[in-house]
Amino acid sequence: MNQQNKKIKTVVVVGGGIAGWLTAGRLAAHHKSNTPDGLNVVLVESPNVPIIGVGEGTWPTMRSTLIALGISETDFIRECEASFKQGAKFAKWVDGSNDDFYYHPLVLPLGFSKTDMAGHWLNNTAESTSFSNAVCYQEAICEQGLAPKTIRTPEYAALANYAYHLDSAKFAVFLQKHCTQELGVKHFLADVTQVNSAKNGDIASVTTKQQGEISGDLFVDCTGFSSLLLGEHYKVPFMPCDDVLFIDTALAVQVPYENEDESIASHTISTAQEAGWIWDIGLQHRRGVGYVYSSKYSSEAQAREKLKEYVGDKIESLTIRKIPIKSGHRSHFWQNNCVAVGLSAGFLEPLEASALVLVEMSAQMISEQLPHTRDIMDITAKRFNETFSYRWEKIIDFLKLHYILSTRDDNAFWRDNRDPKTIPQSLQDLMKLWQYRAPADHDFTSNNEVFPAASYQYVLYGMGFKSDYSTTSYMLKDTDFAKSQFDKNKSMINQAVTNLPSNRELLNKIKSHGFSTI
Amino acid sequence: MENLVALEQSAHQHIKIDTQKAQSHAENINMIPVVMAELNQIAVQQPIVFAKNSETGEFTLNALLGFEQHENLFYQHSQWQGVYLPLQLQRQPFFVGDTHAKQTQYPVCINLNSPAVINNRAQSQNDLEPIYTQNAEESGYFKKIKQCLGHLLQGEIDNKKLIDTLLQHELLQPLSLEVTFQNSQKTKLNGLYTINQERLAQLDSDQITLLHQRALLPAIYTVITSLGQIYPLIERKNAVLNLADD
Repeated sequence: MNQQNKKIKTVVVVGGGIAGWLTAGRLAAHHKSNTPDGLNVVLVESPNVPIIGVGEGTWPTMRSTLIALGISETDFIRECEASFKQGAKFAKWVDGSNDDFYYHPLVLPLGFSKTDMAGHWLNNTAESTSFSNAVCYQEAICEQGLAPKTIRTPEYAALANYAYHLDSAKFAVFLQKHCTQELGVKHFLADVTQVNSAKNGDIASVTTKQQGEISGDLFVDCTGFSSLLLGEHYKVPFMPCDDVLFIDTALAVQVPYENEDESIASHTISTAQEAGWIWDIGLQHRRGVGYVYSSKYSSEAQAREKLKEYVGDKIESLTIRKIPIKSGHRSHFWQNNCVAVGLSAGFLEPLEASALVLVEMSAQMISEQLPHTRDIMDITAKRFNETFSYRWEKIIDFLKLHYILSTRDDNAFWRDNRDPKTIPQSLQDLMKLWQYRAPADHDFTSNNEVFPAASYQYVLYGMGFKSDYSTTSYMLKDTDFAKSQFDKNKSMINQAVTNLPSNRELLNKIKSHGFSTI
Repeated sequence: MENLVALEQSAHQHIKIDTQKAQSHAENINMIPVVMAELNQIAVQQPIVFAKNSETGEFTLNALLGFEQHENLFYQHSQWQGVYLPLQLQRQPFFVGDTHAKQTQYPVCINLNSPAVINNRAQSQNDLEPIYTQNAEESGYFKKIKQCLGHLLQGEIDNKKLIDTLLQHELLQPLSLEVTFQNSQKTKLNGLYTINQERLAQLDSDQITLLHQRALLPAIYTVITSLGQIYPLIERKNAVLNLADD
């Protein structure tokens, strides 16, 4: 048979972190690896390299990913210490004062598809509440520590859209068990010592210390920052973006709860600091807290001091992990018969939990568009590269947006972030458009946009940005409809806060009773 | 407020029960839990539906009594209106003590704050039933109550077997009901579940045999048949609405 028409029968995933297992799992589930004629999916994982375990925050996409893998939500929540996440609260990002905060919730603004709700909100001087509180009931739910559903809601169904916070180490173990026991993924514990090329430049096989040679038709590089296949073997260049996003260091710490009844926030809390920001993620058994900062603007000692101020004196007895961050991504992600997923493809500061969602999107695209034969793989590769280059650029724009509207002046970190030289042209263009109108769906061109226009609205108007409708006030004549939506939102808030249990209470109930599937 | 205490002959010798007032415990509920053993009787008067326990999310088996949250169309004029009184009402004001503890004998308890508990003859015009005879022995009435509690205990086990089997075979489905009453008032019933008949028809012979061996087929078909009682229930509601209009 012609080498180019070779059928894709075996996919080798190198690396066993969450990226590796999610990709292997999606491939195996979609291509029926647990049946005799299904795709052969092999995962090779070093017994010696610990997983990085970035990203304890997810997007609502994680629900569809878990469903696609055939995982029970009850099992997932019980075994991965998972809790519910209904968006993010950004504290002290605008001016740094104590009551400075805004929300980026996961529910779309009410009436969003019918009229320009943001424009009407800007124009409605009677509406004194924040944008997200005026058009979305989720901020109120989060402020009260409530869950997005009740124990009577079927698994994966939502009363308010939600994602998860999870323990990434436990999630990797959980996925491994499910992928090997249910989905038919073959698992090898072995160190890759050599990458062997075919004549056409493809990877023919990898040589391992413990398992000898493992060959395949497609290789997925999930080797983390080392980027063993795409970076080291193919020398695909890394494109840093530290000129746009300055964060280069994380100090992470796991904070135990004071007692077993302490409330669990149902959103990620991101609190701006002098040279970066602190994440705070509530799991069932502990919080994950970390300060990501730019070492150009803060010494490590200063950063540790800020983290201590946030966590309190108990930090003295906790272990602080220092993780270097290299912001950026490879110039492309699919080369020959090798595609990188996860940290091997790139990494950005975890401000909007983009790491795992990119893994999910990559795994989905690879499994759903898996080329049938080698000769069409180059087409798939090209399309994959175009799709993900676009997504990385859009994420960089969206993360930068959080910085450029701040008026904080306590450190050059914030002033430099506002310097137009550090703002991508694509974002500057969008900001010019939005001077006179709210972000709209047509500002974006992808059919599967990472951040929809609504997300830009939540950040822009949450941070006090004003679009000027003074010459286009005729655009804002839907006042009756807009008012009916503001009123409806108020009654939805009342209903939600009366009927929803606390996040902790629901998690306890899931532990003892579980969700039903209907 | 309920005042629940373990029943003791020495303490409760003189208490009498007003059985009609015991029915008032159904006054503000739109569903009452039922057990498998009484489905035939329930099916001739009410729709039998599955719902979820608000504390645990677990499925329960119930007779539907009304369309609004606190509406019981089977409780009018201070009286239960059906020909059959569900076991959960028959047992009032008695109940079984902690069934979670590992024990074979469950204590019988009484809700002393129930309007059915009469300490003093002057409190009621109705016929009263003693718990204990003058010889301090259990009365015929109380023996029946204990039987009733026994049925309910067994019913919990039977219901669980039914529900677990239905879930295992994916035989439950949400029941969405939109009802328009005579006066054009509309209501939507949420949170109810019933048998998925399409799925039932697709079961293979082994699965059907299993349902037969577990003696669940009669209950399954009774639940399906009982859904027809929705129409008489709507009629009851219309009658109430007409009365209100007059």
